[in-house]
Amino acid sequence: MSPGIERGEIVNTGCRIFLVSFVALGLSWGAFVIAPAIQLGTQKQTSVLNSSEIYPEQRPGDATMGLQVYRRAGCAACHTMQLQQDGVQCDVVITGMGKTPGAVSNLLSSLSLKSLDKDDAQSASDQITAAGGKTEIHIVPTGGDVARGWGSRHSVSEDFLWDYPVQLGSVRMGPDLADVGSRLGSFSWQLEHLYAPQAVTKNSTMPPFRYLFVVQKPVNGVPSPDALQLPAQFAPPAGYEVVPTMAAKKLAAYLLSLHANVPLHDAPFTMASAAPAKSQAKKQ
Amino acid sequence: MSNDLKDHTPAPSGSPGSGPALPVWVFSLTLVLLFLGGVYFDESSGWFNAQVYKPYTDANQLEAYQPVSGAAAIRAQGKLRYDMICAACHGPNGEGKPGQAPPLAGSEWVNDSAHTRLIEIPQLGLNGQVTVEGQSWSLSMAPMGAGLSDSDLAAVLTYVRSSWGNKGDDVSSDDVKTVRGGIAGHPAIPGETGLKAIKE
Repeated sequence: MSPGIERGEIVNTGCRIFLVSFVALGLSWGAFVIAPAIQLGTQKQTSVLNSSEIYPEQRPGDATMGLQVYRRAGCAACHTMQLQQDGVQCDVVITGMGKTPGAVSNLLSSLSLKSLDKDDAQSASDQITAAGGKTEIHIVPTGGDVARGWGSRHSVSEDFLWDYPVQLGSVRMGPDLADVGSRLGSFSWQLEHLYAPQAVTKNSTMPPFRYLFVVQKPVNGVPSPDALQLPAQFAPPAGYEVVPTMAAKKLAAYLLSLHANVPLHDAPFTMASAAPAKSQAKKQ
Repeated sequence: MSNDLKDHTPAPSGSPGSGPALPVWVFSLTLVLLFLGGVYFDESSGWFNAQVYKPYTDANQLEAYQPVSGAAAIRAQGKLRYDMICAACHGPNGEGKPGQAPPLAGSEWVNDSAHTRLIEIPQLGLNGQVTVEGQSWSLSMAPMGAGLSDSDLAAVLTYVRSSWGNKGDDVSSDDVKTVRGGIAGHPAIPGETGLKAIKE
């Protein structure tokens, strides 16, 4: 015992340190663990806006297992899975000129219809309706990620309902993958891209994931139906074929199951067309 | 040193309660920081609502930006009711079911330029033989739409008339209201002859 300090004094100080740190840790535990768990711990599927469809759909089994391949391969080291949205704007769309097209077109010359806030859009729409025209107000998310074509809205908690563990990621060496199943919805494209990224995306900086594939001679001389169709530069030696392993197929199935493309109550927007996912897939 | 509490109390300076004064700048800085914190809270907290994300600042604003107006919303309202009520027999894509219900996709009754007949069928039901797309059906449909509100029934019919390749014009809830007023108490429509007897 050092001189000048009594035994009881030390006990008092220690007790105070303990109490203060207990309260500090307890408060942050409550605020950052308990409160979110109460809010989102019982998260359920929700319905798509203006539709009887349920979101998100349960993943098929191979896609669920694909998440573990995604995790093991370290995809989250270079890819995020969280779309940002900086703003929202309203566009007034004319759907009919009505019985007095002259009056409506006169009005249109003096009104701006794009990039409005909700109140301005509503007032423009009301004026056009009063003149006899028909309008719709389209809700349009804006921001870098939307402009890049990575998705149509910001990510919400529902998007990750079937992900365990959630692979949010924090580095964007590659594009965001939250909506990749809608953008690049072709199974064979995903497999070729995993085997040789540069074969399908020129100048891609992604490393090839060849260990997810087997280069083999056709078994019994019969080519595998799964064998990849690669450009000559990336093709295996003559007489060999590149066949995806189960892991590669699961990963591709998981990537195709990533759809963050429907409007929800907490991420509203107006669908541009009835089936954006399908029209995107055809482009591949 | 039996009573060491005394050592911890600050030395009294002057009268009790007039301890070392808090510098004015600390006080002002605290106020400024509190104000900035309040502004940040107001802009970014969403009032801790789990539904509110950036760029929305609160639940009311989020509500205001829900897309609800226009033809898309009417079609959506119609699809919701159609999927609940009609799709069980007529199919989710209006393709119909053999032995249960004739198709709606491409049906001449659906695409009829006037829509009085189409409005009456779900409200009264249809019993007996009817020819749809060259095929004869002899079935009985209950008045499945009698319980729907004017706007819901109008939305369903608008949805049916504008989906799966159908090219009918919209049905307004006023149309439904007019027709509904005129047919109160009528029996089910007796097949095609009954349909043709309905004045357009």
